[in-house]
Amino acid sequence: MRLALISDTPGALEACRLLGRQLQAAGAEVTLIAAPTLAHEHGAASPPDAPTLALEPLAAAASELLDHVDAAGVFVEPQTLQPFLEVRRQAERLRGRPACPLFTGPPLPLVGDALSADLLPRLGYDLICLQGPVQVEELGWLIRGTPHAAQAHEPIGLWGLPIEPIGTTVSREPLLVVLEQEAVPAGAKDKALLYRRLRSLALAAPDWTVRLQPDYPLSADPEEWDETALAWHHGLDTERPANLQIGRRDDLTLNLMLAWACVGISSPWLLSAMVWGKPAAVVADYGIRTDFDGPLFFGCGLMRQLADCLPLEELLSSPRANPGWLAGLGWTIADGPQRLLRRLGGLRR
Amino acid sequence: MSLSLLLVADSDSQLLACQALARFADEQRLRVTVNAVPRDGTPASVIEALSRIGPVWQLSLRQLLADPRLDGFDAIGVYLTGSKLAEFRSVYRDSRRQLDRPLRPLFCGFNGVVLERFEEAIAWRLGYDLICLNGPRDQARLELMLRHTPFAGQRCVLTGLGRQRAAEPGVERADQLVFAEQVVIPAADHERRRLVRILAALARRSPDWEVLIRPRVAPHERTFHAVTTHITETVEETLGGLPPNLRISDAPLAELLQSGRLLATVSSTAFFDALDLGCKPLVMADFGLRHDLGTPFFAGSGLLRHFARAADIDSLAAGPGADPDWLHWVGYDPHFSPRNLLEALQELRAQPPRPPKDLIHPGYMVNAADLSSNQLRRGAEAAIRRRDYDEAARLLEIAQLQRPENRNIGRRLAAVRIGNRVGRRLALLVTPRFRP
Repeated sequence: MRLALISDTPGALEACRLLGRQLQAAGAEVTLIAAPTLAHEHGAASPPDAPTLALEPLAAAASELLDHVDAAGVFVEPQTLQPFLEVRRQAERLRGRPACPLFTGPPLPLVGDALSADLLPRLGYDLICLQGPVQVEELGWLIRGTPHAAQAHEPIGLWGLPIEPIGTTVSREPLLVVLEQEAVPAGAKDKALLYRRLRSLALAAPDWTVRLQPDYPLSADPEEWDETALAWHHGLDTERPANLQIGRRDDLTLNLMLAWACVGISSPWLLSAMVWGKPAAVVADYGIRTDFDGPLFFGCGLMRQLADCLPLEELLSSPRANPGWLAGLGWTIADGPQRLLRRLGGLRR
Repeated sequence: MSLSLLLVADSDSQLLACQALARFADEQRLRVTVNAVPRDGTPASVIEALSRIGPVWQLSLRQLLADPRLDGFDAIGVYLTGSKLAEFRSVYRDSRRQLDRPLRPLFCGFNGVVLERFEEAIAWRLGYDLICLNGPRDQARLELMLRHTPFAGQRCVLTGLGRQRAAEPGVERADQLVFAEQVVIPAADHERRRLVRILAALARRSPDWEVLIRPRVAPHERTFHAVTTHITETVEETLGGLPPNLRISDAPLAELLQSGRLLATVSSTAFFDALDLGCKPLVMADFGLRHDLGTPFFAGSGLLRHFARAADIDSLAAGPGADPDWLHWVGYDPHFSPRNLLEALQELRAQPPRPPKDLIHPGYMVNAADLSSNQLRRGAEAAIRRRDYDEAARLLEIAQLQRPENRNIGRRLAAVRIGNRVGRRLALLVTPRFRP
């Protein structure tokens, strides 16, 4: 089966690469289509597993390229999802023949309000690929009794995050990776406070390296950082502890692999660490707040106050994530790519 | 067996939720007392309506928790915002323990449909003996959230979305469309102006109908959400002159729904009041299915209409009513009513008293489960630094309830309560600041 995966943000391109790799392993031929700025900036950084074409999403929607694939996955910004569908339908009408089925879905394991807001513009696509049974249940509530009640969907596991086994190699010295999110907490003052607390954590654990790892695209140029990035506060700190470091965005997966333990507030990348069996802690200091994506980790069983993470050695003997909760998010779905290909095969026109 | 309940609420919408419960007082063997925590801007009409049903107290939470009459009730229903709910639960239980008085069952609920932040709201409510939910939809969401967690046994009860007494049948209804305004839905000024323009254009296309805009609150009143521009100003600024058959009405919504044929809303709980009162509700779908508007909740109702595209109001009014399966799913069904709560409370009363469920489990948390007087005092100091003395006083009051023996809390509280700026400043300088 020939597939195109279309993206227009760095996060979506990364998720498409992950999905593309899994689909190729399952026997599909995959072409990535990314917005030109994205393809140029991020295409060279890591050699893609699939050929990447530079094309704006709406141009791709109208182009004949999509006539030559069996299905296209659309992972673009929410405001572009419905225009994409409309352009594609109009192109079909003008050409007088049906085009390939379109599929889409949230690349991240969202739940609750964040999930319904994400799913609304995806309704009407030929197939929505979800992650696990929790998302299936929530989609069911969203479309119940509506004109979209028959919306086709398929849970295909945690496809947007690296979860394939990585072995047991970790860094030689103890390494704590703190996953930083761009907008959690959102304000500069709150980020400053968080930086101070993490700084204290590093001071209290001199045998450990504490690496502040952004999980969002952070420019490599410190001139472009602002107060909402921990890196900005780190750069300004003239007395920063030597064991407090900033991780490069491109090294996120690598650093997660090397970590002895991971800490975060609600970064979805915590799930990779949990699936890999790394000791992990979800910072409970902010409570279960929707603005902080608190509901996602409510059932994980790994919440603790930041102050209770010390001594860091104790994290190493912390329990694993709640397996029932992980299964709900899609962790136990091992044949996601095959499921997706089967469903797309059934939709082929 | 009769029940005596105390309902505690502050904002107007929470008081309306109490009113919905209290209306069962005369048909069940139930005595309801409402404590309306004093708050600026609470509409007097809401307090008046409650006082027609039963006694209305107006005590602060501090006064209430110290009042010996509190132990005379069979159960206490708490209708406050999230953090205050958790505080009440914690402080009530601590104070009863300290005073060696019996613990009464605590219950809480929601005021109307829950359009967003459901999980956050539940995280504040966990630990109450009973959580009232609207219907199977909310029950399914609660079950999904708590599945595989130590809180999975949380007891809940379905109390439905019906709030008004059923309408008298056969009442002659006027060709009136009542639009139930919501203060922040939609929130953006340009969308509120568009909303007003759509209603005005619809009124012009429907000269035989009267269109009424019913503001959620009067300009001098306050609700949970703070707004800068009242809808009356938006109407004036957007339209200048009103079409002759469009006007703003501050008549009680229930009265308008008893006499008019149609209710229109973007996502207000008034939708269900209209059903109670025999007025056909319609959901304005012109702004799309958007999470921030709460419209996805109503997507399955069968009553979504595009007002801007409608030829006139008659064409909007045509067609069947709300989908019965959807109504049952969201909780508008005779099976879901406060009677279920009363039955559950009777059951609780018949059982030997059990200690409240433990909320502390390693690896899990509920909102404010670890509320302690030190945290409150720390919060109060932060409020003093930003000169928010009301908030500082509120936090210190709760801290004082938790630790009545601590003189420093009392001194600090007395200092923030001083009205004179210079006097307060001096008192804050000489009273001991909290240092963890």
